[in-house]
Amino acid sequence: MPSLKTYIITRALTVLPTVLILLTVVFFILRVLPGDPIAAMVGQKVPPEVLEKMREEAGLNKPLIVQYVDYLSSVFRGDLGKSMIWGKRPVIDEIMDRFPATLELTIFGFALSVLIGLITGSIAAFRRGSAIDTSMRIYSIVAYTLFIPWFGMLLQMVFGIYLGMFPIGGRIDPGLEPARITGLYVVDSLLTLNFDSLSSALLHLFLPSLTLGIVLSGAYTRLVRNNLIDVLSQDFILAYRARGIRSSKIAFHAMKNAFIPVITLMGLQFAILLAGAVLTETTFSWPGMGTFLLERIQYRDYTSVQGAIVFYALFVALISLIVDVIYALVDPRIRY
Amino acid sequence: MKLKDGILKVLLLAAIIAIVVAASGCAQKEAPAETATPAETVETEAAKEIVIGVTDKVTDLDPSNAYDFYTWEVMNNVMGGLMRYKPGTTEIEPYLAESYEVQDNGKVYIFKLRKDLKFADGTPCTAQDVVRSIKRVMEINGDPAWLVTDFVEDVEAVDDYTVKFTLKTPVSYFLALLATPPYFPVHPAYKANEIDPDQTAGGVGPYRIVKWVRDQELILEANPYFFGEKPKTERIIVRFYQDATTLRLAVERGDVDIAWRTLTPVDLESLKQNPKLKVIEAPGAYIRYIVVNVAMEPTNEKLVRKAIAAAVDRNDIAQRVYMGTVEPLYTLIPMGMWGHKSVFDKYGDGNIELAKELLAQAGYDENNKLKVELWWTPTHYGDTEKDLAQVLKEQLEATGVIEVELKSAEWSTYVDYLRKGAMMLSLLGWYPDYLDPDDYTTPFLKSGSNKWLGNGYSNPEMDELLDKAAASTDINERTKYYEQAQDILAEDVPIIPLIQGKLYVVANKDISGITLDPTMIFRYWLLEWET
Repeated sequence: MPSLKTYIITRALTVLPTVLILLTVVFFILRVLPGDPIAAMVGQKVPPEVLEKMREEAGLNKPLIVQYVDYLSSVFRGDLGKSMIWGKRPVIDEIMDRFPATLELTIFGFALSVLIGLITGSIAAFRRGSAIDTSMRIYSIVAYTLFIPWFGMLLQMVFGIYLGMFPIGGRIDPGLEPARITGLYVVDSLLTLNFDSLSSALLHLFLPSLTLGIVLSGAYTRLVRNNLIDVLSQDFILAYRARGIRSSKIAFHAMKNAFIPVITLMGLQFAILLAGAVLTETTFSWPGMGTFLLERIQYRDYTSVQGAIVFYALFVALISLIVDVIYALVDPRIRY
Repeated sequence: MKLKDGILKVLLLAAIIAIVVAASGCAQKEAPAETATPAETVETEAAKEIVIGVTDKVTDLDPSNAYDFYTWEVMNNVMGGLMRYKPGTTEIEPYLAESYEVQDNGKVYIFKLRKDLKFADGTPCTAQDVVRSIKRVMEINGDPAWLVTDFVEDVEAVDDYTVKFTLKTPVSYFLALLATPPYFPVHPAYKANEIDPDQTAGGVGPYRIVKWVRDQELILEANPYFFGEKPKTERIIVRFYQDATTLRLAVERGDVDIAWRTLTPVDLESLKQNPKLKVIEAPGAYIRYIVVNVAMEPTNEKLVRKAIAAAVDRNDIAQRVYMGTVEPLYTLIPMGMWGHKSVFDKYGDGNIELAKELLAQAGYDENNKLKVELWWTPTHYGDTEKDLAQVLKEQLEATGVIEVELKSAEWSTYVDYLRKGAMMLSLLGWYPDYLDPDDYTTPFLKSGSNKWLGNGYSNPEMDELLDKAAASTDINERTKYYEQAQDILAEDVPIIPLIQGKLYVVANKDISGITLDPTMIFRYWLLEWET
């Protein structure tokens, strides 16, 4: 029987071809699309000879295949290159400026979605057939179909403008950024015991993560409910009941079993978070990867777009690897 | 044993997560120098600070490469040039220079610097710094470098306080060029011959940058070493928003004290009703126009171009698309600038009869319609752009003789097509680099200089007029040349001017000192809370 270690190594190796394919597809799609990154960025009066020189410096005058090989070799050396626009900053710096913002929003939105999904799904399952069950099922459908900018703006109007409880944009109040350790403001505020920053960061996080959390929670509500109903009707639960075991203990065991498919969904959700994050980030002026990627695609900043996608691909692959391992640890039926 | 294994696995996973989280922070290079601002300080000093919200972004904090409206605005607040525009006017006056003299028939300019110039950290700024900074711009040759390299042959420090410029040829608007950021002296901390996009050391200006978090906030504090009058507000905070809607909500909620660029006409209309806010309006030097391809059929026919110019109704555009937040423009040189001559009014506005007549002469009628393509771009000119294209289509089609096909492309594709001359009619906009009629004529109408427009326009008579206007130092003579050039523009119609933008600032009722002028530069140092 292969060990957990072998499983992790094999699983990790599958990441490589996935990333390579993605990288290749993105490289060629960007170049097939019309639009010139240099012309899009420079001032309109720049003479054609300067444009040509800049194209040459960016390596855009080389044959496509040479550009591709150059690109691959630098990626494998761990070099994502330099942005083609605005100061030509290293892509990794550009990413690291924004990634913590997205990661923070993702973690909070994600945690909130799982929490809401678990609560609503469990309530629906334990009250199966009741009016509460029906309302939870409706909630799951409505949440799933909400359009993020619309819903986000609604929350901004209610909680931001009318109630004045939460800020409607940005990550933190000006001047309150905690000293950078991880780049995650909540974590950094805690590490530096800066409670003003912590409260400001949490207040700013509330509306965007609630938006993302509610929209993503619909799928969990449904999944938890269905799984829990399934588990509750299984023999071992009946056996527990027959032995007179406390309902709370039965609920705990039922939920533990029903949680396994939820972990799989969590892994998948992380991958689709990017799409949700773009819209949420734009709505709440959240300075993260989503808005960055969108902006750079518009300007055909090849290196930044490629770099961001490779980075994301590796990140999602890593998360899905972690999820697979957790899945294997939680479910004793999984064998390697 | 089993339990121990389990704990190890969980620890391993925790370690992986910790690495990912840490990587997101550690790979980041050192953040800009931070000045601790405890919350209580912010509270007590609230009256001494003003928060400005914008939807623009700061691109490069380096004058050798920054070439966008908003970054130039920031530079004008943390740096300065030998000359500047007197706030509220289009008048040029000495700034870092005390005086200047022109020699050799306008080919040589000699500037005497003030002796009390210091950068924001107290380092003295001398003629050598001015020369080093300008040569750095020439060496790096970034986007705005042409503002120096096209005109300056050489720049040298005669002594610690004297700078001498030798021009390639005499240029009548050279002093206006000196008020642009590529000529601003920068702190020695700027990398020598390389773009330094995150550099916050600045130059000699009323404010210094104390914190900059890309795409989030910019904090400015009064420069203690500034030679001029101290800014009226000690601290200016700029917050960056992704879109107009969030910016509008932020000013309504009081997250920002001033909402600057750019709110939509609908937002402005609604904010005018808010009793806590005031909406300030000023003329802008921003223009919009249609580029007409004179090298493509059927717009290569002058009658066709004239007919399109006649069918366009600028008042209708100003009202329907921009809700009165812009003004109709009948030439390329904006209203309020010397040399302006409304030449397109000879065609009238929405003059269907004239358009039909001209089209009939060109051989088009209701049975043989003129088919044109009108291009617009969805991502560069805001939410109103689609409406502008649609309204223009309606106006042209109201003749009953023109059929318009609307086409759109993302900005990068758009400019690519434009330069290649692949678009028949296309919508564009223009912000000035320097306030001189030359900046509104030469780049559009002079052969060679207008290659970026891709419309194939070239007229030797026009070229000669523009050359003469650029070289002359007599304003009356220059005015005459520009008026003649505009007459030719209206006759040849390679471009159809549409509107001139106005500037709007939405601010808390208690803020004063908002000074807007055609330079469109917001001077933060004049802002203050009324007590």
